[in-house]
Amino acid sequence: MKKRIIVIGGGVAGMQTALRLAEQGVEPVIVEKEPELGGKLRGWHVLFPSFTPAEEVLTALRRRVNESGIEVLTSAEVVGLEPRSVRLADGRELHGDSVVVATGFTLFDASIKEEYGYGIYDNVFTSADIERMFNEGRVAKADGTAPRRIAFLHCVGSRDEKVCQQHCSKVCCITGVKQAMEMKKLFPEADVFNFYMDIRMFGPGYEEMYREAQQKYNIHFVRGRISEAAPTIDGRVQIKAEDTLTGRPLRMSVDMLVLLIGMRANDDNARLAEGAGLNRASSGFMAPRDLFLGNVCSNVGGIFYAGAVTAPKSIGETLNEATAAADAAAKYAEA
Amino acid sequence: MTFYAPFCLPFILGAALMFLIVAWKWGKWLWLLPHRDKIRLLRGLPTRRTFEAVGEVVSESLLHRRIFRVNPLLGYMHMSLAFGWFLLILTGWIETVAYLGFRWVPIQGHIFFKYFATSLEHKPVFDFLMDLLLLFVLSGVALAWGKRLYSRAMGMRRTTKHVLGDRIALSALWFIFPARLLAESTTCALYGGGGFLTGGLGGWMAEHIGVMPLMTLESVAWWFYSSCLGVFFVALPFSRYMHIFTEIPLIFLRRYGVRSSEKESSYDNFQVEACSRCGICIDPCQLQSVLGINDVQSVYFLRDRRYGHLRLQVADNCLMCGRCVEKCPVNIDLNTLRLNARDRMRNVPDERRYGYFKGLDRSSGEGKVGYFAGCMTLLTPRTLTAMSTIFEAAGEEVWWADREGGVCCGRPLKLAGETDSARKMMKYNADLFRKHGITTLVTSCPICLKVFREDYDLPGVEVLHHSEYILRLIRAGRLTPERGTTRFTYHDPCELGRGSGIYDEPRAVIEAVGQLLEPASTRENALCCGSSVANTAISDGQQVQIARAVAGELEATGADVIVTACPLCKKAIGRGTKGEVRDLAEIVAGALK
Amino acid sequence: MAAINFGYTISKPRAIDLDRNNLRKSDEILREMPELQTCIGCGACTAICTAGNLTSFNFRKVHTLVRRGEYQGAYEEMNKCMLCGKCRLVCPRGINTRGVVMLIKRKLGDF
Repeated sequence: MKKRIIVIGGGVAGMQTALRLAEQGVEPVIVEKEPELGGKLRGWHVLFPSFTPAEEVLTALRRRVNESGIEVLTSAEVVGLEPRSVRLADGRELHGDSVVVATGFTLFDASIKEEYGYGIYDNVFTSADIERMFNEGRVAKADGTAPRRIAFLHCVGSRDEKVCQQHCSKVCCITGVKQAMEMKKLFPEADVFNFYMDIRMFGPGYEEMYREAQQKYNIHFVRGRISEAAPTIDGRVQIKAEDTLTGRPLRMSVDMLVLLIGMRANDDNARLAEGAGLNRASSGFMAPRDLFLGNVCSNVGGIFYAGAVTAPKSIGETLNEATAAADAAAKYAEA
Repeated sequence: MTFYAPFCLPFILGAALMFLIVAWKWGKWLWLLPHRDKIRLLRGLPTRRTFEAVGEVVSESLLHRRIFRVNPLLGYMHMSLAFGWFLLILTGWIETVAYLGFRWVPIQGHIFFKYFATSLEHKPVFDFLMDLLLLFVLSGVALAWGKRLYSRAMGMRRTTKHVLGDRIALSALWFIFPARLLAESTTCALYGGGGFLTGGLGGWMAEHIGVMPLMTLESVAWWFYSSCLGVFFVALPFSRYMHIFTEIPLIFLRRYGVRSSEKESSYDNFQVEACSRCGICIDPCQLQSVLGINDVQSVYFLRDRRYGHLRLQVADNCLMCGRCVEKCPVNIDLNTLRLNARDRMRNVPDERRYGYFKGLDRSSGEGKVGYFAGCMTLLTPRTLTAMSTIFEAAGEEVWWADREGGVCCGRPLKLAGETDSARKMMKYNADLFRKHGITTLVTSCPICLKVFREDYDLPGVEVLHHSEYILRLIRAGRLTPERGTTRFTYHDPCELGRGSGIYDEPRAVIEAVGQLLEPASTRENALCCGSSVANTAISDGQQVQIARAVAGELEATGADVIVTACPLCKKAIGRGTKGEVRDLAEIVAGALK
Repeated sequence: MAAINFGYTISKPRAIDLDRNNLRKSDEILREMPELQTCIGCGACTAICTAGNLTSFNFRKVHTLVRRGEYQGAYEEMNKCMLCGKCRLVCPRGINTRGVVMLIKRKLGDF
């Protein structure tokens, strides 16, 4: 009889894990709390650094899952897990030979940073809003007109002890560069400013993309964190920062302020971890057994991790890790 | 009849020394009082305030009424020691008079009357009374011993860590009354008499101990009793027991209107030395209960200040939330003393400082009502937007003092001890308010509110917190918020509640828009959010720890939304909870039709 | 501190000479406030600062210079601060900025 492995989460990590498991001759079952597969990739527009449409990746993954005949439970929320079973919110219990947790992350709620005015002023958006607007094909100010001046703020909800998020969310830097370039493509006449504390270009092609943004797209990078935003009489947003490279306070009015929101740990990580005796990092993300040879294993035998459930990750990294997690989980189940 | 025996010597010396030192201290402090305070004292003397002071002395210095409110057992312990001892002395005096008529008896004659009165015919009434009182005091001593072992029984989780001098005095005090019991009992054993206690114990001793050992024991016991008294009296002016006498002039001076201020004065000595180091201030302190910081509480601050080894680290490490002030049984003005200690340690007058205020005016709008958001409110734009909505809905013409950023109200600097420089900010803002001719000044920040009310000279300008202002608008029918079903809980900001006595207005406003649920610690006992500007010593992480504890209590009410009325509290509590935290103005603006 | 200080030295075009600068005071300050080392220089404190918007006061620069052993004029600069505490509310590193102002003044002042 085929071994059965439960994959919690039907995003990129979950789907890739399940595909790999099916390839290995194991029977995976995906448990997804939303009504459909796709996770956070749904609603994303294009992926850095190649501007590949997110839809392309998503469609391919979904199609393969479909073709492989993988069992998928949607609208099914997991409330507890053990190495060989998973308990759902509706009381059902699933049994398997091991479990892969691929529950991902939660987007930081920008309204917590009240001083940036998200949810208070028109024309303050998050990076997730911008992706959605790109997808819907109407990127514009709240009044529907085209923006002439756009500011991106990096590190919203990342590296910020004031919201108890000390970690770096890793992908917002490159997302900020990517969205700035997309904006510039859409509105060539607009001035685009990125306010950053550090620019962390860790991946292949990222640094080149950053350089292109500066040189080819004439995007202005200002080193300084915006401290507050205020509305102007004409419905724009006035922002204040220090231009730390000149050491002088800077203020400007923009048509759109985009907050590059970070990734934070899911709230239910705590409950899942407690129930199964799993370790968590101080950031709230799940802690793998170690960061090298056991980086897809948890501290509990039979429970494995794939993707951003352990830390912020890019799509590429997530796909790789999902493969590794599937192999480890399959090996455990066969043993 | 002579009233002298060699064993009296320790007592006589100790008492004499004590009276001299106390008199010298009081004399010096009174002499050094600022002129205006001396005038207050002289003017107050022939008024009814003097009688009120006498009444307070009886109820507080003797009966310890305020400690009863903390915990009845603790109150009884203090009362039995203070009031019991007082009655012993008083009744002893009467007893002497009853035995000998009105004649001069040296002080040791009164105190050791049992020793000298063996040849007189006994008056059982007094024997009984004195024994009863002794038992009363002894019960207090027993409780004091018990409190050392298990303070929780008296409602105290933690008690004061005492210095050596206090321990010596404390030990002497603990032994005074058992020693007295022993001494009087041996005398009764040898010469008869005594009430149910001393007589009873004496009778038992006479049966079981021979006459010679009893005589030795009697001598030793009286020596021991007298020595305990002597040691205690010598230690008294230098130890915490100075409070026994100092609270009395403190009560009088306070009744005459003498107060501590942002600058140290001689009056502070009365307050500092009136602290009994009872340690009641320790438990309410969140630095203690949440962070485990054990050496900065008011009792330690006053101790260090009194003995002249106050460090800035101790003076700075206080939220000035006032929770301990509410509990202090001596009503010491702890926050002001903390403040003027900081002033002494940090204030550097500098005429040229803040020269850049000159000609500065970043205000906007025009109206008889001025709105001073406060620095922190500028970082909570939801509050600011809500206030704007409220002003508009009420049709109020508003002069915005600091929407574009203004000069700080000065209270943070004052709380840090730089009082002279803080005055410059106060003067700047007061001039600005006058220049724009406002008649009402509304602020959303309780920190600003407190300083506007207490330190600003603003004749003809009514200063209101936005909670008071909003309530007025609602009551006048100028605002008609819709009452919903949302359940709110309210966090009292320290500077608004304990600081300015505003408890009811915010609650009335909340009741106008929804249901109010009170947290476990509320009103005078409300917790501090932990981010108080008065504390520059604790770290960010420690602030979050306190915020989490506070948020936990607010969440426990089961309310949908936590409401507060201070931008700083809002920011702080928001860090401690995942739930919704709103300013009062926001929920009102949200409920407007 | 000199009684009169004509202009602050931060804009002087000269090298910070860490071979010569005496870091003793700086070390003392960092020992009392180790979190100051975590500053990533984002400038949020300076951006929000009322004094910094009205004068040349730049909290980030002053404390960075102090950490490099450049003490001259730092006390006078810090005296422009109103201690309102907005900077503490925006600091992403959770630095006790008001404490830093007071600490630097205490260590570099005459008292």
